[in-house]
Amino acid sequence: MKCEKCNQNEATFFYQTQINGHATSLALCHTCAAEAGLVSNKGGTEPFAFSLGGFPNLLGDIFAPSQHKKRAADAVCPACGATWSDLAAVGKVGCPDCYRTFAEQLSPSIRAMHGNATHTGRAPAKAQAARDKLTRTEALKKELKAAIESENFEKAAALRDEIRALQEKEV
Amino acid sequence: MAWYQVKASEADTVISSRIRLARNLEGFAFGKRLQNEDKKTIIERVEQALAGADFTRTDIDALTPVAARALVEQHLISPELASAKGPRALFRCEGQSLYLMVCEEDHLRLQCILPGLALRDAYRFAAACDDRLDAALPLAFDEKLGYLTHCPTNLGTGLRASVMLFLPALTDHGMIGTLSHQLSKLGLTIRGIYGEGSAAHGAIYQVSNQVTLGLSEEDILQKLEDAVESIIKTERELRAKPTGEAKLLREDRIHRAEGILRYATRLSSEEFFSLYKDLKQGIAEGLITSISHETLNTLLIAVMPAMLTQNEATPPKTAGERDMLRAAFIKKALEVKENG
Repeated sequence: MKCEKCNQNEATFFYQTQINGHATSLALCHTCAAEAGLVSNKGGTEPFAFSLGGFPNLLGDIFAPSQHKKRAADAVCPACGATWSDLAAVGKVGCPDCYRTFAEQLSPSIRAMHGNATHTGRAPAKAQAARDKLTRTEALKKELKAAIESENFEKAAALRDEIRALQEKEV
Repeated sequence: MAWYQVKASEADTVISSRIRLARNLEGFAFGKRLQNEDKKTIIERVEQALAGADFTRTDIDALTPVAARALVEQHLISPELASAKGPRALFRCEGQSLYLMVCEEDHLRLQCILPGLALRDAYRFAAACDDRLDAALPLAFDEKLGYLTHCPTNLGTGLRASVMLFLPALTDHGMIGTLSHQLSKLGLTIRGIYGEGSAAHGAIYQVSNQVTLGLSEEDILQKLEDAVESIIKTERELRAKPTGEAKLLREDRIHRAEGILRYATRLSSEEFFSLYKDLKQGIAEGLITSISHETLNTLLIAVMPAMLTQNEATPPKTAGERDMLRAAFIKKALEVKENG
């Protein structure tokens, strides 16, 4: 397995935790783990003092550009002009778009903070409407499958039309 | 009336409940990349979004440092907003205890502060205001990551729910460290306020959620509420523990604190916090009936340096002068209460 930070060396440091009931894992090579202060440079693993209060430091360390990996540092956010090194310097993104631009690079630190989690709470009205549409479509598809299996083709046709109409509807 | 002047539930242990929602606008950068012109645009757009609701605007950059500091001492804005540079504003709606900071770390930080244990009410007010903002502004959101924030630690709900607690017995029993360890396992955190890092002045702490992504707002509130209820229970059990000589000594300490607060002519903020701790315990135990929790909460805010001096014609020049002003203010506040 390759290191999740530099994507070059073999991962030798594996960190696992449970946050929100989700297992989070982080796999790093020895160099990246040492740069993040997770293992000692002298070899051997030091006791890992990982507290919730320590997140910002961990974040900054994992954000920091790896000495043997420069590719990520070259990417530039088209919306705000921030580079990966800019993000690493402050441990914060340059604009909302950075989350899309640097999705891959940000993923390990977000997982270290929040676990392997997906947002489940409130959403803006527009996003909520899209969510509702998705939920409704999935429910209809299940019904359609059941209708076909029971050879109720009249119902299946009606369901198919309903799904089509729903999918064409703008959110 | 400000939040700290209102009579509240669980007032012997809970000072206030606070909800904070972090929101940002699509199309605008964060931090140093956000130009002053853009900050002005954001403030204007927020003002338009809130038009018709009962909000008043305060431009923080137009305030004197003391006036900005006084807002921090009332917990209405963050120290970061007070000390930041460039255009930034507070929109407040006192009726619903809503305080919206604009151009803080995030473009919008909406807060609702209510006295006592009232997380649900605070969330209800904040969520209604969030709906109003959402209807008028393009909030940055991602299906997987939730509300997008300047710092990834706030992703997801962008919700920081916190409860300010008065924990003298847990403090005296040296149990805050253990509590902190237990809370961290639940994704919650506790910190002393009025003196970060050091022994918390006045035994006042804030318990809040640490994880913001992957849990719904309801889950976060429930988890925090459960933890707070269990903390309150333990605190009350410990308070009831001392008997015999220990109990008499504590009663003596409480009445001495009352005496000093009523009659001293010079009080440093450290001494005030220490006496506050004894006096509030006395009120909680019914040993002191002439002073209410609300009066003491009000004092806690009013005797902070900026609050104390902002309305003085000739502000005190030395710490000694300020300590005299503080003592005089407390004496007057407690006298009025006694006679009224």
